[in-house]
Amino acid sequence: MKSSRHAVRLAVVLICAFSSNPTVAAPEAGQKGATQKDDILLSSMQTELQRAQGQLSKQDPGLYFLSYSVHEDDSLVAVASQGALLTSAHDSRRTADVVVRVGAPGLDNTHLGNRVSAIDSGALPREDDRDAIARVLWQLTYQEYRKAASAYLNVKTSSEVQAKEEDTSPDFSIEKPSTHLESAHAAASPDQAALEKLVREYSEGFRKYPYVYTSVASATIERGRQLYVSSEGSRVVTSSRLTRVAIEAQTRADDGMDLIRVETFQAGSLDQLPPATEIAARVEKMATDLKALRDAPVAEPYDGPALLSGRASAVFFHEVLGHRLEGHRQRGEDEGQTFTKKVNQPVLPDFLSVADDPTQSVLDGVPLSGFYEYDDEGMPAQRVEVIQNGILKNFLMSRMPIKGFANSNGHGRAQAGLMPTGRQGNLIVSSSKTVKDSDLRQLLKDEIKKESKPYGLYFEDIQGGFTLTQRTLPQAFEVLPILVWRVYADDRPDELVRGVNIVGTPLAAMERILATGNHPEVFNGICGAESGNVAVSAVAPAMLFSEIEVQKQAHSLNRPPILPPPGFEKSDAAQPSNAGGRP
Amino acid sequence: MIRRGLRLAVLVLLSVTIFALPLLAQQKEMSPSDADPVLQAMETELERSKTALKLDQVAAAYYIEYRIYDVDSYEGEAAFGAIRNTDRTRLRFLRVVVRIGDYKQDSYYGQGSGSYGIVPLEDDPIAIRHQIWDATDRAYKAAAEALTAKQALLKQLAPPDEPVDDFAHAEPVQSIGPLAKLDFDPQPWLAMLQSASAVYKDEPELESAGAMLRFQAINRYFVNSEGTVVRSGYNNFEMDIGLSAQASDGMKLERSHSYIESKIKDMPSAADFHAQAVQLAGTLKVLRNAPVVDEEYRGPVLFSADAASTVFLDFVGENILGRRPRLGQTARTVGQFASSYKTRVLPDFLSVVDDPTLASFAGQPLLGNYQIDDEGVPAAPVTVVDKGILVNYLMGREPIRGFPSSNGHGRARVPSNPAGPSVGNLIVTASESLPPAELKKKLLEICQQRDLPYGYFVGTMGPQNSLRLLHKVWVKDGHEELVRGGVLEGLDARALRSDLVAAGNDVNVENRPQNIPHSIASPSLLFDELDVKRVTTNKDKLPEYAAPDLASAK
Repeated sequence: MKSSRHAVRLAVVLICAFSSNPTVAAPEAGQKGATQKDDILLSSMQTELQRAQGQLSKQDPGLYFLSYSVHEDDSLVAVASQGALLTSAHDSRRTADVVVRVGAPGLDNTHLGNRVSAIDSGALPREDDRDAIARVLWQLTYQEYRKAASAYLNVKTSSEVQAKEEDTSPDFSIEKPSTHLESAHAAASPDQAALEKLVREYSEGFRKYPYVYTSVASATIERGRQLYVSSEGSRVVTSSRLTRVAIEAQTRADDGMDLIRVETFQAGSLDQLPPATEIAARVEKMATDLKALRDAPVAEPYDGPALLSGRASAVFFHEVLGHRLEGHRQRGEDEGQTFTKKVNQPVLPDFLSVADDPTQSVLDGVPLSGFYEYDDEGMPAQRVEVIQNGILKNFLMSRMPIKGFANSNGHGRAQAGLMPTGRQGNLIVSSSKTVKDSDLRQLLKDEIKKESKPYGLYFEDIQGGFTLTQRTLPQAFEVLPILVWRVYADDRPDELVRGVNIVGTPLAAMERILATGNHPEVFNGICGAESGNVAVSAVAPAMLFSEIEVQKQAHSLNRPPILPPPGFEKSDAAQPSNAGGRP
Repeated sequence: MIRRGLRLAVLVLLSVTIFALPLLAQQKEMSPSDADPVLQAMETELERSKTALKLDQVAAAYYIEYRIYDVDSYEGEAAFGAIRNTDRTRLRFLRVVVRIGDYKQDSYYGQGSGSYGIVPLEDDPIAIRHQIWDATDRAYKAAAEALTAKQALLKQLAPPDEPVDDFAHAEPVQSIGPLAKLDFDPQPWLAMLQSASAVYKDEPELESAGAMLRFQAINRYFVNSEGTVVRSGYNNFEMDIGLSAQASDGMKLERSHSYIESKIKDMPSAADFHAQAVQLAGTLKVLRNAPVVDEEYRGPVLFSADAASTVFLDFVGENILGRRPRLGQTARTVGQFASSYKTRVLPDFLSVVDDPTLASFAGQPLLGNYQIDDEGVPAAPVTVVDKGILVNYLMGREPIRGFPSSNGHGRARVPSNPAGPSVGNLIVTASESLPPAELKKKLLEICQQRDLPYGYFVGTMGPQNSLRLLHKVWVKDGHEELVRGGVLEGLDARALRSDLVAAGNDVNVENRPQNIPHSIASPSLLFDELDVKRVTTNKDKLPEYAAPDLASAK
């Protein structure tokens, strides 16, 4: 074909942030009940799967597992800046993931670093055309089988040549098949104009603030159905709906430090979003926070007592602890395997327990976005008590077994096109040593005095890493404190600082938690890792640490913009304090 | 006639522009961009940046340009008779270039080559200007750092014998063209994709069957600090059919056809589009059963005008661009003709002109038609090869040794790429030519002289010099036999110069919309000696299991 199919792709400003927002609504669970008998997509998948299984299990090497997973997505997105629309699009597609396992559960083509050999993806006709669906699945399947078969031969050879691995678990767990058929939503017709109006309004709020150099508001409505069939007999159909707003604003201090604020809002539908006035107030707060941050002193290196808000603690636990509880990380040769040999040993103070519970859709009236009924390997979601009274008990398991944990506990998650791994859903930290939140602040002051420190730190907000890149790429996350205050032992008011970077060993810091608040706070966000972006929640009370070590953040030396922004040409207020150079 | 008329139009446009300038300078409010909010926002920010954008220790910019591509695009794709995806996207892409230094030596290097942004679709002046302001600030700072880095690097290199300017002077141009719109009902066009890609139902051996369309309206806004203001718009309508099959030995076979037009009324009817798919499926069927080429062949090869345009674009088009070599290298330009100036690159019966001002050639529309390039320079016809001798290069505003000015060929890939020299309408003409039937006779004559039982006739080229439609032409009775699995070897600049022996009196226009829209018009070409080898197919194998039966057939 002479024409290349390059297309103008939108580098949509997607904010994959694990970031705060207490006001959310649950993703609506679909109505349960038998799926329509004439679900052409599901029956076509089923028929073609059986045919492929029959044919490919006779090959050498033989296929022993095959699954088809189709994501039927309908998404609307609108992005605006400064009150004007940057883009607006409606996209509707079906993506098929074909997973092929060759060999046997004990040793298959996914062994060690070969998991990617088990999956192939492609766009499926979005029309209910049996023949076209079957043809595309057929092509994907035999191509994927070739990839899997060739990887399997390599795996066999290296397992014969190389020394015995430390963890001799099989590559795939044996599980009971699931059947769960949810009927399709009667999808309300999406209102693109309403979405556009919202982002225009949200983004216009920043026009008043000359020091907010870049800002963008985006809104997406995603409605989807997930269909899963496997050669083991699983048939699972679930549905999801999510409306998400992300607002991002950025300024730069005179020393070149970029300062950013991100707010996200999630709901089941547009009308469940917080009222416009509330979001406008949040926009104002973002702008005034940025102004305060621009003027705030740079944090000095510090090692001493610190208080984390519930939301900050939740992110901290998600990033620092949660990811290390993911089962597959106990096995990979490249993994730190922090907790692999700590089962039944204390890893946290004994008053803390941690569970991951994807089956919980609401906590104290606040919806949780890590809610799901079946994971991406067709396994029913389960509540998992990972740490009980400080003792490590379990991991978040996909169908990849690890030493001592032979089965999935319904945490195999991935975005379309990627192999599922053990991931978090709703990570819930609970405490048996609680004080009132107001008393925690006094405890912090007591601790500062006891340690003879000049001040302590209060972390109001932590951004769990954020990125402005494509959502198909896995994101490396780090803990990035955004709003940090110096708290003095005496009556001096708190003082905002910027450029704080938590260093030392964050895990060691967790052993220095002295007490917690009594009010759990919820963080809803999107978490990115090697198996892609998945919706998650983290829940934790505020926490007092006897010691947290921070350093200055490295930052660029680029000056703030030289000219005032359009609309502020003649205003002195617009002129950044030492931008200099205007003739 | 068309050609002269258009040239005249450009001359008129140029003179109007030049005479109009002093007047415009005096009466800013009479700017032609006043009616266009996008141009107005660009000019307002340009004026502000020109007068005030400066850091204490850094020189002010000597040149600033803003380019916005407003790309409105509808894409649809079908596989096996069913729509797989449709997508409508509209975005305005901004590119800002700030140059510090002067025309002789400036900051256009590495990170100093421009910054990017996305500006609002709505004509809100403050919101548009905000994005331009932000991108300009980034571009100026990056240019300052780039200039320092460039000067440091130059200090390590010996000064060139013949210094070449970094940026060519150009006369300012003002031209406000009409805006292009994308306004159509997708449904009938999607139905055409469904119908064409459903041909597999009648041809069970087809392994994949797909069709796609991309309809676009692209509007370009350009202003620079020299006073150039350009607005222009065009449409692209493209539809493709792509089919593939495997021969019984596993060899992959592909056939495709593209329709590319600038007016929707010139696109094929539903019946024609379907018929084209049926025809492609038919040739695939024949190809599946066709014999494989012999392992080795060295002898004459005749290229149809269709195949010859591909050859010309790949082997000549790439090498006549006045692209500057890397900093510190002394060659005139890059590519195979870098040291061929004023020497023979083609046989003396061939000449090559690139003329973007033509809208059609030999009755066929040309996609590479434009009046002003993406650097604001009016397009000019350029004779590149005169009677076989390389006499000129296609130039943008980046000079090369001996070629200090642009000839209106500086073009940029949509949406945000830097501008550089590109082919517009490349037209190959022959001073001596033969009707295609005579060329075939000549092919057989050469075969006879060399005791070859057959010669090759190439109907259509595929990617990587593969020969998608290749016929053996037998000396004994002149009959043509379709064969498969041929790939061309050894076709290079030397072969074009020495082995090209005759041209046809026919002409084929090939339009290519991708990257930068361009066209090539070429006659049939006869080479007296080329190598045709058998493609390696050891990776091709038949599917492990058969395609699913059709539900309708059950």
